[in-house]
Amino acid sequence: MAQYFLHIHNAHGDAEDDEGLQASSLAVARETAIKGIRDLLSAEAVNGGINFAGRIDIADAGGAVLISVPFKEAVSVTGL
Amino acid sequence: MSNAFITKLCRYAPLGDNEIAALEKLSRNPRRWASGRDLIREGQRPEIVFMLLEGWAYRYKILKDGSRHILAYLVPGDVCDIHIFMLDEMDHSIGLLSDALVVEIPPKDLMAAMEKYPAIQRALWWATLVDEATLREWLVNIGQRDSFERIAHLFCEMWLRMQAIGLVNEDESFDLPLTQVEIGDTMGLTAVHVNRTLQRLRREELITLDNARLTILDPKRLAAVSGFRPNYLHRGTEPLEKRLRERLGAPV
Repeated sequence: MAQYFLHIHNAHGDAEDDEGLQASSLAVARETAIKGIRDLLSAEAVNGGINFAGRIDIADAGGAVLISVPFKEAVSVTGL
Repeated sequence: MSNAFITKLCRYAPLGDNEIAALEKLSRNPRRWASGRDLIREGQRPEIVFMLLEGWAYRYKILKDGSRHILAYLVPGDVCDIHIFMLDEMDHSIGLLSDALVVEIPPKDLMAAMEKYPAIQRALWWATLVDEATLREWLVNIGQRDSFERIAHLFCEMWLRMQAIGLVNEDESFDLPLTQVEIGDTMGLTAVHVNRTLQRLRREELITLDNARLTILDPKRLAAVSGFRPNYLHRGTEPLEKRLRERLGAPV
């Protein structure tokens, strides 16, 4: 297990993750980020507007950003 | 010697020296438990009544996919169901969110105290009704409020519950031994969403939350934004005995 930090950056500002997440791999941390983004976007959808301009940076315990997950990667949009 | 159990029940009924001595007796022989342990798990037979003197516990259920939903928090003074031993098996688990001091009360001792002292019985029933009212309010919370209102509402509740047992400092700060994952599992939100929402609560200068210590910066505004009304906590500001006497017109 390793510790990953999921820092959120979007139109509402930045939310640094100061607790971190224990995950077995970076792929698992990425999956957690994807689920989190879906949760954030679904709350926006309830209020009638979705802003895809955001990302979650996944950092290691040393603070280095390992990968960045853009919001738009979390969902597929069809029928527009 | 008072403890959180006695402090709490004294709010629900004016307990005399004998009742307090009986509650002290029930609180004897507490045991230290480590954070993360389960007091009892779903499926196990409940044979004793747990009472928390220090620390936080939580009721939870594990779903088919391994995810967890948290149904209640127990803080010092709280009893895990006074009549639970009547059931064949637990339909949920109770675990510890922090290191805790726990009393395991044999059901016969609890029943004997309740039979001997009607005031203790009424206070414990009051506590049970508050637990049920709190569960109803949590249903409203996760069913109808958005994430911001939801977490703000939870913080208002915990602030008052901790205040009732004397665990809130003058600066309105208290221990909140919850991770973002645990708050998320309580509120039906991901930890990412919780983090974002906590950030907003901080930005709007409603709270600070550092090292599991929550400070309520603006209680009035926090209650207003979440639609928090403390009526469901039935804090017993008016002594129960006095009220019963007024209503029934009989000595109790």
